[in-house]
Amino acid sequence: MATFKLNINQKSYEVEADPQTPLLWVIRDELGLTGTKYGCGIAQCGACTVHLNGTAVRSCSIPVSAGASQQITTIEGLSEDNSHPVQKAWLDVQAPQCGYCQSGQIMSAAALLDRNPNPSDDDIDQAMSGNICRCGTYTRIRKAIHLASNEISNGSK
Amino acid sequence: MEANKVKRRDFLKVAGITGAFFAVGFESFALTGGKAELKTLMPEDFINGVPMNPFVIIPEKGKITMMAHIPELGQGIFQGIPAIVAEELDVDMDQVEIVKSSASRAYGRQSIGGSRSVRTQFTPMRKLGATTRDALLRTAAEKWGVPVNECSTDSGKVLHKSSGKEITYGELAAEAKAQTLNKEVKLKEKKDFKIIGKATHRPDLGNKVNGQADYGMDARPEGLLYATVERCPTLQGKLTGYDKAAAMSVEGVVEILEVTRNVYGKRNTGIAVVAKNQFAALQGRKKLNAQWENAEFSKVDTEKLFTDMENLSKDLGMEHVEKGDFAGAYAATDNRLDVVYKLPYLSHSCMEPMNATVHVREDNTAEVWASSQSPQVHRTIAQDLGIPQDQAEDKIKVHMPFMGGGFGRRSMNDSFEECYQISKALRKPIKLVWTREDDTQQGPFRQGTVHRFAASFDEDNQPTGMQTKMVSQAITTQGRDSRGRIPFEVMESINTHYGFENMSVRFNEYKSQIPIHWWRSVFAATNGPAFEAFIDEMAVKSGKDPLAFRKEYLKSEPRFVKVLERLEKESYWNRKLGANEGKGLAIVESFGTIVAQAVFLKKENGKVSIPKVVAVVDCGIYINPDQVKAQTEGNIIFGLTAALKDPITFKNGAAEQANFDTYRMLRMNEAPREIEVHLIDNNEAPGGVGEPGLPPIAAALMNAVANMSGKRLRELPFDLQSV
Repeated sequence: MATFKLNINQKSYEVEADPQTPLLWVIRDELGLTGTKYGCGIAQCGACTVHLNGTAVRSCSIPVSAGASQQITTIEGLSEDNSHPVQKAWLDVQAPQCGYCQSGQIMSAAALLDRNPNPSDDDIDQAMSGNICRCGTYTRIRKAIHLASNEISNGSK
Repeated sequence: MEANKVKRRDFLKVAGITGAFFAVGFESFALTGGKAELKTLMPEDFINGVPMNPFVIIPEKGKITMMAHIPELGQGIFQGIPAIVAEELDVDMDQVEIVKSSASRAYGRQSIGGSRSVRTQFTPMRKLGATTRDALLRTAAEKWGVPVNECSTDSGKVLHKSSGKEITYGELAAEAKAQTLNKEVKLKEKKDFKIIGKATHRPDLGNKVNGQADYGMDARPEGLLYATVERCPTLQGKLTGYDKAAAMSVEGVVEILEVTRNVYGKRNTGIAVVAKNQFAALQGRKKLNAQWENAEFSKVDTEKLFTDMENLSKDLGMEHVEKGDFAGAYAATDNRLDVVYKLPYLSHSCMEPMNATVHVREDNTAEVWASSQSPQVHRTIAQDLGIPQDQAEDKIKVHMPFMGGGFGRRSMNDSFEECYQISKALRKPIKLVWTREDDTQQGPFRQGTVHRFAASFDEDNQPTGMQTKMVSQAITTQGRDSRGRIPFEVMESINTHYGFENMSVRFNEYKSQIPIHWWRSVFAATNGPAFEAFIDEMAVKSGKDPLAFRKEYLKSEPRFVKVLERLEKESYWNRKLGANEGKGLAIVESFGTIVAQAVFLKKENGKVSIPKVVAVVDCGIYINPDQVKAQTEGNIIFGLTAALKDPITFKNGAAEQANFDTYRMLRMNEAPREIEVHLIDNNEAPGGVGEPGLPPIAAALMNAVANMSGKRLRELPFDLQSV
């Protein structure tokens, strides 16, 4: 066991954990930020996606030791009030069904739009194909990303 | 959410602050009425107002509470049932606060499956809303001393138009509750619906885009311990040994014990590793080095199984439907089609793996977070803990968290069963999470099937007869003899409306040790694709357009014809396709709903894609059209995964696929770019919606492949890039 300083959603936490513990379990079980989900444990489904220094990563496959002293954002840190353009677009098109994968989908989409505010369909395919949705909301997610992209580019005019 | 030990009146204050608080499952004690007795608080305990019935609670001022009593796993029923009640109660949806209920007998049956919720609850819930409205209306009329028939309602108020008087439901509720209920109330006409049939946003989605929705996986009662269970890698086996000391030596592991789960009468043993955190539990499990004696099950092999099933399909089997004389028609000609279709075993693979959280306390009470399609587990627990049945609901509290998918899998409570045993032994709150590998490999699975088809044709290649013989395990006769009767579930969606002069539909039951279970659309998921692909083969042989062929042979069924005509129009079916394009369609009825789908394929730079799928749905009266569309879109993706991705195969008794790297799901880049769903408007009784969009898609896809490439595929799954 060791002590780690984590910076999550611009808040500092100190946790005791085995250094090899996946960041996912620390975020969920030790810190109670349960919006980040477990789906596969091997970085295949994307349900556990968080931002590490702004990049979308799979928290199930990053040991807590590697997350220490980095800037981590989880779904809970995206906005205070569902006002992030991606969240708004998700609600506009009513994307979620069961909703379990959607934290990860939204975090992947937000990271995509951060670095590419005007993604093409192929860009979306590339950025989003690491996130599985078993309910099959892909066409709505695609629509929502385009919608969020429009809002972002209109907002910056 | 952490434990809350505060006084009840403080809870009520808190509850007013945040609606989300209601919905969160948490370990929730409070002192009752100054006595030093602890009470487990449930969502119902936070609601203020007059309970008109278990489902509708009206406060003097503010929003009316309606209970979402049917488990929500993505299908939108959280809003669906309250919308039905609100329609007849005559309140607007923004005047309603929906609260996820506990599991309780007060709500009647809460189990879900068979796309049944709206179908079975539509009329009772309308009556409930209308009866409540009627009591409010009569109370106002009495108050004002005016005839009831001069009063009307609108948006949560009773109105007396001629005098201009009006009064809110909130002001009437306490008196209205004392009214004798009028059971013969008149229900609204469809043309007067203000909520039913209109697209509305789902109120549960706000918390599904910010991580706040409470899934079973998220329950965090105070003092929680984490468990994982090692099970026999083959389907079943006898545990002969394991290294308890090695597992216990992992820091954080606190206990190791044996548990069992009942899968269709077979008791499967597992070794539970309980630890202070999830990681320690998993590390401990790796060190168990469990030994199993599993000779009986080590021979299960799907390759051999499919050979056996194909052989069995040559037998005549049991009669389901016989029309005319198929054998005679078949014998009279050499102009025939004889083919076999095979569909694989599959896993449900809900995004939220199986899990449960249970706290059996020292005082023999229990609290459960049931990620379950059948959450009413009070009786089972009461029996086991020796609690009299009439005290079961007092001493056992069951939360209904949101579920990350179900697809039938969560109608088996085996993860709860394992978790309950651990908590009962330790008297501590336990969360059991199955790993993805557990979830994929342990089953129960969707059935694999073999379908033998035969058809006879006249000299102009027009059909004179057709036969289908289906071979499969059955769900309801596992571990017992079916006594010469066809199990009720197995013939779903074999469409005997087709007007072939001679038709023969038969079934052969195959017995296997592989446990199978309800999987989204159940036997429609296998019968629909095989049957509608063969219909297409017949259509092609007859030289007719496959859509025209179906219209012709289904002409006795106007609803089918209408759906086909609509698909013809919406999909521009008759438009000529390019050289490297293909189209296919299928129409299947299941769970009271008819769905037709057209799949369009394109081959470009050597890559095959699905640019578009068009669906037409006749589900009778629907509640929220946007949810019908969402479910159909989802069913199309779910069905494409089943058609194009990995099967579950068994070798030496064990499933060969384990996680999403070997049991792959359709992803964004492979999904159709566009899915259009069109709904038929009519006054028919509501049909199911959660499943009927699935059965046609694989057939439409196979038919489109044949149309594009000339290659007829008769085995699922297949690789789209190899066609």
